[in-house]
Amino acid sequence: MSLFTLGIARGLLGQVLGMVIGMLLTCAVRILLGWEAWAAEPAWTVGAVCSIIGFLLGVGSLDDWLKWTKGIPTPLHHGPPVDKPAWTRYFSVDYNHKVIGVQYTVWGILLLMVGGTVAMIFRTELARSGLQFLGLDLYNSFIGMHGMIMIFAILLGVGGMANYLVPLMIGADDMAFPRLNALGFWFNVPGSILLLLSLFIGGWDAGWTAYPPLSARGPIGYQLFFLGVFAIGLSSIVGSLNLFVTLLRMRPEGMSLFRMPIFCWAVFATSLIQLTATQLIGTSFLMVSVQRALGMGFFDPRGILGEVSPMVGGGDPVLFQHLFWFYSHPAVYIFVLPGLGIVSELLPVFSRKPLFGYKWIALSSMAIAIVGFLVWGHHMFVSGYNDILRIPFMYATLLVAIPTGVKFFSWLGTIWGGKVHFDTPMLFVLGAISVFLIGGLTGPILATVPTDFPLHDSYFVVGHFHATMFGGFVFPFFAALYYWFPKVTGRMYNETLGKIHFFIMTPAFWVQTLGQMGVGVMGMRRRIADYDPTLGAGQIENWQMAVTIAGFAIAFGVMLMLWNFFQSAEVGVAAGDNPWRSRSPEWQIPSPVPEHSFPAPLHVVGEPYDYGLADAGYVTTASTGDD
Amino acid sequence: MAKNRRHFGIATVLIVICTFVVYWVLDSVLLKPAAAVLEAGPIDYLFDLHIWLIAFLFALVAVFMCYALIVFRARGDEGDGEHIHGNGTLEIIWTVVPCFVVIYFAWISTTMLIDLSRPNPDEYVVNAEGRQWSWLFTYPESGAVTADLVLPVDTPIRMDLTSDDVLHNFWVPEFRVKQDSVPGMVTHVRFTPTVIGEYVLRCAELCGTNHSGMLATVRVVSAEDFQLWQSEQLAQAQE
Ligand code: HEM
Ligand SMILES: [Cu+2]
Ligand SMILES: [Cu+2]
Repeated sequence: MSLFTLGIARGLLGQVLGMVIGMLLTCAVRILLGWEAWAAEPAWTVGAVCSIIGFLLGVGSLDDWLKWTKGIPTPLHHGPPVDKPAWTRYFSVDYNHKVIGVQYTVWGILLLMVGGTVAMIFRTELARSGLQFLGLDLYNSFIGMHGMIMIFAILLGVGGMANYLVPLMIGADDMAFPRLNALGFWFNVPGSILLLLSLFIGGWDAGWTAYPPLSARGPIGYQLFFLGVFAIGLSSIVGSLNLFVTLLRMRPEGMSLFRMPIFCWAVFATSLIQLTATQLIGTSFLMVSVQRALGMGFFDPRGILGEVSPMVGGGDPVLFQHLFWFYSHPAVYIFVLPGLGIVSELLPVFSRKPLFGYKWIALSSMAIAIVGFLVWGHHMFVSGYNDILRIPFMYATLLVAIPTGVKFFSWLGTIWGGKVHFDTPMLFVLGAISVFLIGGLTGPILATVPTDFPLHDSYFVVGHFHATMFGGFVFPFFAALYYWFPKVTGRMYNETLGKIHFFIMTPAFWVQTLGQMGVGVMGMRRRIADYDPTLGAGQIENWQMAVTIAGFAIAFGVMLMLWNFFQSAEVGVAAGDNPWRSRSPEWQIPSPVPEHSFPAPLHVVGEPYDYGLADAGYVTTASTGDD
Repeated sequence: MAKNRRHFGIATVLIVICTFVVYWVLDSVLLKPAAAVLEAGPIDYLFDLHIWLIAFLFALVAVFMCYALIVFRARGDEGDGEHIHGNGTLEIIWTVVPCFVVIYFAWISTTMLIDLSRPNPDEYVVNAEGRQWSWLFTYPESGAVTADLVLPVDTPIRMDLTSDDVLHNFWVPEFRVKQDSVPGMVTHVRFTPTVIGEYVLRCAELCGTNHSGMLATVRVVSAEDFQLWQSEQLAQAQE
């Protein structure tokens, strides 16, 4: 078997070829125009665009559609590849949502590790004041890199959970558009490769937010970064469209919207945001890209580009921030809503009690998603936009706290009066609640403008959003990995190692986030390579050291988890179909899930969370008569 | 129900204790720099109010959660919990009460914000231009141009900010307030220094390579010293 039977190997080759072809094309056009043949920035930009297409062609994600244009029929193949070993399907284009879900998740975890490694490098630098081993530019590239890689990782993790779970939870055989689903995943691979590659052609130094004018003047790495984000954005859009249609059109008989497992509501709300907001970050980055490549000064107030272009001035740097945050604020809810859905999904199972206030939790996700569209300006309180704008954005932002509060109180109501079991997934759910609580509670102090003045762009904000993202994504994601591991592999993970992981990671994270907030209040700005050791009456270095140590502890915990999974996939005891005694459809079928998940169409005969009510069913696969 | 009432009684006591403990922890970890302007008064007051709110809400959720986890742990039995689907009254209460709390916070912040940004007819204006990676201050009244900022104490100041290249941000932690400086436009930030002393202006908007080192000295001096300094500057300029 040659390496190139693997789709991903062909894709990577296609990406390299695409890059080379794009560069040659650029040179050819320049020669025809009578210009100097080689110019690095346009060559890399066009090369990067072509490299994405090259990857998709190479991996074979466009094959079926290309055949259709020629009138060749392509029946949907559902199952392991015919003349290759079964494992190769995970490295090639496959249309089964369970395979795609695993592909998303694994790629997401890989990026999580890369992003985490970058973070540990600059955390080590920050443990002491003064510059020890990183240069200023490299440091600046690293913080942006860490941020954006982590965002990619989160989007992939969300995609993984949604793709694997949604069809299983609603008893569908697959997603509505399997080919589009595969395309949605494969966009991520060339996208993240471009992002990583950008570090080697100069990096980019304006953080993940990439505000112009800085991002319009820095190294060429920006172009690869912008295009990488563009590819990931396309993935978000097609992926969420698919989930939307699947949720609306493929539910079984009897499953009204309010009888879906609650995670489906979270995915529904998330997809709404992804489908309608992602375009804005694409647009904003594309405009900077074009400003750099063609000299169109959209965000250039007075001809900073100077001699490059006669079209100078008349642009506005603040405009970029509006476009950017119109996506990037709702995006934070893309990161956390699915995780909060996991919390709501798991709490009833491990408390053996119905979800308290199902409709309120479901609708609070929608409320967060919708109000989340109206608050982007809270990132711009000191940006120089009109002072009056601060006030409506302050009110709108504070209102988001209300549906968030509803979730917390309903979770408490779920635990109260239950019979709580403390298996590893449940521990991570409880950890998630504790951490997201810290993140949520530090939101309003940033939302009231007078207190945002001292806190904006300080480490306090860093503490705030790490708490929201760990509580809203990382902890629930880990809970989900432990919880569904037996369903995916058919084997149980090692419970002791899981608990050790939890008890290392949770206190470490509390120290990390509190430490970050502390140094922020002391006066440390965010995104600085070096800080003033006299801040906080000289205490700042102790806190920095504590945060760094906590970071390493978290990294160690994550390694432990991955080792646990690798081991247990081989030697773990057989898990059985339903080790958690869950009522959800995916636990009523064998583990691992067979190729065609459900032997017969599902019928919904009851409520999803009727724990504690004897003989109350939720779904049956038995045919109920004549349909 | 009677059992629940006892649980709630115990939880309430724990919440009160926990609120004070959390407040004390936050108060000792979140060390604000000494305040050196008039505006720090209301801002720090609001900050403190928030910390109390955070302490209370944290205690509320954490105590109920930990309490429930202990009291309602499974104790090795395989049965299920109570079959309760929710409680509409409770849901409405915990939607509406927070509504009032956040509107109250938004309201006091709004009035405070209007006070903080109200123009003062006597304000002393200084122009500041950010550039990679230093500041340039010009004093329209005297025409002086400097790299360090010198300000008279107890005088309302208005900084008119702009930038020569990329975004920067005017922030002296002891002054609390903060404002971006943006190329192509003039932004304002107002404050009244109250304490004579030396501070550091720290650029708080990522501006490229040496952003971390983009600092400037700020000296707040008495009115007489300020006059003296100004005439020195003028004399130097005339040479
Ligand atoms: C109670 C709800 C929340 C409120 C009121 C709130 C408020 C705010 C405000 C006002 C800022 C701007 C701070 C500044 O730059 O000065 C901010 C920053 C941020 N928040 Fe939240 N937030 C909330 C929940 C969340 C959630 C759920 C997430 C999800 C991950 C999140 C992620 C972030 C991020 C990533 C930033 C920083 C972005 C950046 O500048 O890099 N927040 N938050
Ligand atoms: Cu936001
Ligand atoms: Cu700066």
